[in-house]
Amino acid sequence: MKKILYNDMQFSVEPSGDRWDITYTLPNNATAVVAAGLFAGLPESEAGARALALIKTIFPVGIKSVGPDVLHPNTIGDLKIVGPDVTHPNFIYWDKDSVSCPKAL
Amino acid sequence: MEIKGSVALVTGGGNGIGEAVVKYLSSRGAKVAVVDMVQKNIDRVVAEVKAAGGEAVGIQANVTSEADTARYIKGTIEAFGQLNIAVSCAGIIRDGTMLSLDKETGKVSKKLDFAKWQAVIDTNLSGTFLTMRDAAEAMVNGGWEGLLVPISSVNKVGQVGQINYSSAKVADALMPKIIVGEFLMRGIRKIRCVAIAPGYTATPMLTGMNQDALKAILEDVHLGRLVAPEEIASLIGYIVENQALNATTIEITGGLCYPKGIAK
Repeated sequence: MKKILYNDMQFSVEPSGDRWDITYTLPNNATAVVAAGLFAGLPESEAGARALALIKTIFPVGIKSVGPDVLHPNTIGDLKIVGPDVTHPNFIYWDKDSVSCPKAL
Repeated sequence: MEIKGSVALVTGGGNGIGEAVVKYLSSRGAKVAVVDMVQKNIDRVVAEVKAAGGEAVGIQANVTSEADTARYIKGTIEAFGQLNIAVSCAGIIRDGTMLSLDKETGKVSKKLDFAKWQAVIDTNLSGTFLTMRDAAEAMVNGGWEGLLVPISSVNKVGQVGQINYSSAKVADALMPKIIVGEFLMRGIRKIRCVAIAPGYTATPMLTGMNQDALKAILEDVHLGRLVAPEEIASLIGYIVENQALNATTIEITGGLCYPKGIAK
């Protein structure tokens, strides 16, 4: 089993037969399945590398986000709630742009 | 196209029709990306697919975001190496009549909030467009056989109280004609597009509604009950495997009629 710490989130890449499952540990220490049955026949090192690439795609922003409540209506009175625009040139990715955090995981 | 061995992406895959599509395709050997707004629904569905021996990845995303759409298409391909089936189940309702009148004065007392219009158009139309567009892009560039499935609704015919929803769903129902026509024009032959227009379906949204209102709805359904999400999922499975189905919208309503028995 390979453990990956990314963006303050703890992931595990675990064998399941000849395939691999990716799980992550929730703040309450419960475990959720990110993906199941991936990368058939790959060795742990290669599966771990591909899992990290997948995790970075699924959870792209390097800032741990608590909220907003995605079920909440996007307007509150006259105030329209707009999420971060990750395509904006000034948007900062923790794992690519930060000078205070290690770039290598 | 065979379901077994194919890769499917289902938006709104965390509950309702989307969840049924995920489980149906997975049970028949497809690898499935579960895309939804609600992480706990994703966690549950992916865990259930895993428990049933299937292969799945869960991606929390907002279908109205172009960046999110690119992310879940890329994530699906990173997980499974290709993409063959895209089903756009994510949808919302924000019902209301365009105008409401004051009973005493006969003047307009309320207009449908523009936010209610915009939210439904964003999710049910723009969200579907983004998923169809980017899934098709990936299929063409990857050289993969593909099927695009927008989810319309029988209320595409125009339902009072749903000017936003009906407007989006009639546009979704048009997509197969336009998309396949453009594919023919551009020489894209391996990707089909077939929309589904469900009638009243036993999703949590409907089964949880006022039971008297539900009973009134069912009086107009020849089948005498709500359509099961699994019945819609099996129709999509049939479409996957029948290449002659293309450039059309298929209704699955159980025989929904207007009052006095005229089929809707």
